[in-house]
Amino acid sequence: MIQASNISHFYGSEQVLFDLTFEVQSGEFLFLSGESGSGKSTLLSILSTLLNPSSGELLIDAEAVGKIKNIDYFRQSKIGFVFQFHYLINYLSVYENIALAAMDDKKENINKILNELGILELSSRYPNEISGGQRQRVAVARALVNEPKIIFADEPTGSLDSKNSTIVYELLQKAQKNGTTVVVASHDMQIQNYATKIIRLKDGQIL
Amino acid sequence: MIAFKAIRKNPFKSLLIFSSITIAVMAIFLISSVSQGVIGMYSKMIKTDGDIIITQKGISDTFFSNVDISLMDKIDKLEHVSSSYAMIVGASPIGHIPIAGIYGTTANHFSHYKLSNGDYPKEGEVILGENLAKQFKTKSINIGNKNFEISGTYSSEIGFEEGGVVMNITDAGKLFNRSASFILVSSSSPNEIDGIVQKISQLNSEIEVKTTQNFVKEYNQFKIIENSSFVISTLAFAMGLMGIASVMSMIVNSRKEEFGIMRALGKSRFFIIKNLFFETLVMSLSAYLFALILSLGILAMLPHIEMLQGYVNGTLSLSSALYVLGSTLFMALLGSLFPAWIASKTDPILLINQGCA
Repeated sequence: MIQASNISHFYGSEQVLFDLTFEVQSGEFLFLSGESGSGKSTLLSILSTLLNPSSGELLIDAEAVGKIKNIDYFRQSKIGFVFQFHYLINYLSVYENIALAAMDDKKENINKILNELGILELSSRYPNEISGGQRQRVAVARALVNEPKIIFADEPTGSLDSKNSTIVYELLQKAQKNGTTVVVASHDMQIQNYATKIIRLKDGQIL
Repeated sequence: MIAFKAIRKNPFKSLLIFSSITIAVMAIFLISSVSQGVIGMYSKMIKTDGDIIITQKGISDTFFSNVDISLMDKIDKLEHVSSSYAMIVGASPIGHIPIAGIYGTTANHFSHYKLSNGDYPKEGEVILGENLAKQFKTKSINIGNKNFEISGTYSSEIGFEEGGVVMNITDAGKLFNRSASFILVSSSSPNEIDGIVQKISQLNSEIEVKTTQNFVKEYNQFKIIENSSFVISTLAFAMGLMGIASVMSMIVNSRKEEFGIMRALGKSRFFIIKNLFFETLVMSLSAYLFALILSLGILAMLPHIEMLQGYVNGTLSLSSALYVLGSTLFMALLGSLFPAWIASKTDPILLINQGCA
């Protein structure tokens, strides 16, 4: 699903990733671990097509990311995001936030996913009317609505308590068991229990 | 739908944009309506009762024109001329009123002023327009250190006349030291007007003879008013544009995260630009309607403000309203173009926690 070959990245003159090569198979749950400054968020940004690497080649679902003509459509159809902070749009309801991300032919999935995630009754509420854990579940629902091939999550439980963290991990694991590739960058070692593959980074290199 | 919700969730900034557009549009409406009103009133005064106007050659303003009134005898004898009359137009303080229009005219033109009461003026008498008459309860008024008996009041559709004084042309001639400001000629045969213009031109080398249609088109004062109105309207447009652009920039800056989310979710740059355009468009159209209603209200009130004596009248035509609508939409799109473009370039990477890189 993901083939990274000799990925390096610089911020100005500072190199933060060094010649990284690895593969992630379809349906795997990859845990990118490492201390702050290890390069895991930069790697996640590159893998999720938000950042172009300074050098190296990245293939997602057999497509070379640098050569994709319509990256917006590629992101919307193949990739789901879950961020550390829920990043829901505060003037849209839960339903509308998910609908904003949904492609036209996937809108019918919204209520089904909200139901599966146990938040159907929140669909008409606004982000500031629900708890932090519920917001992150909505963010997961938004990531799942287009039935993406890969979900990228950046510190998805960074702002949650352990109970809500477990709920989010279980949701991601469920998605993975349904065939979605999941890539999570996190400090939280609890995620090892769910991961099928772990890449540990230190100073921009794979240990 | 997103645009409506975004407007509702940013009430203060939306109100700022709404206000900028409302003020700019109102300024454009009012300045163009009032200038069109002034031009319309004066044009109507000239065009109503004559086909041809005779003024002094080389004088740009009828206020300064001096034409020999004895020309009327020769003009009346020309073929296809049905009537002619002479007028002196001037302005002077009248009692406590700082300035009012004075219209001295030959007796054959008095019927143009519809008497509300009293009689048309004889020598040493005046009739007052209804607007002006409201401010005088006396039987006589002082104009240019000379007392005139008030013989009656009249009404007129033309605001300048409603707030003015009509007297015999001989009295006006003594006040303003001239024979006539202009002579207006009516023809019994519209096809012969150009020929009459030629013939009158040959009567005296110091006169300028034009059809009233051409006079109105070419009158310098109207051009000055139109150009001034255009300049002020353009400035109002520019102010509105800057208002939209600066508030939209603030909005875009405060909603960067939201645009980052949209980009990360795979929404195209066009989607973001389209939504911001639509937000501005909704605010602009609402502001336009609000400004239109306010302007119509103000224009309706203007003729009834005693202090203005009916001199300030506004005319808002459908073509002006459509022109301002077009300008408003253009202003909205132009003002939001750059901020929307900046918004669409928001890099979704800002959502990833770079502190952990």
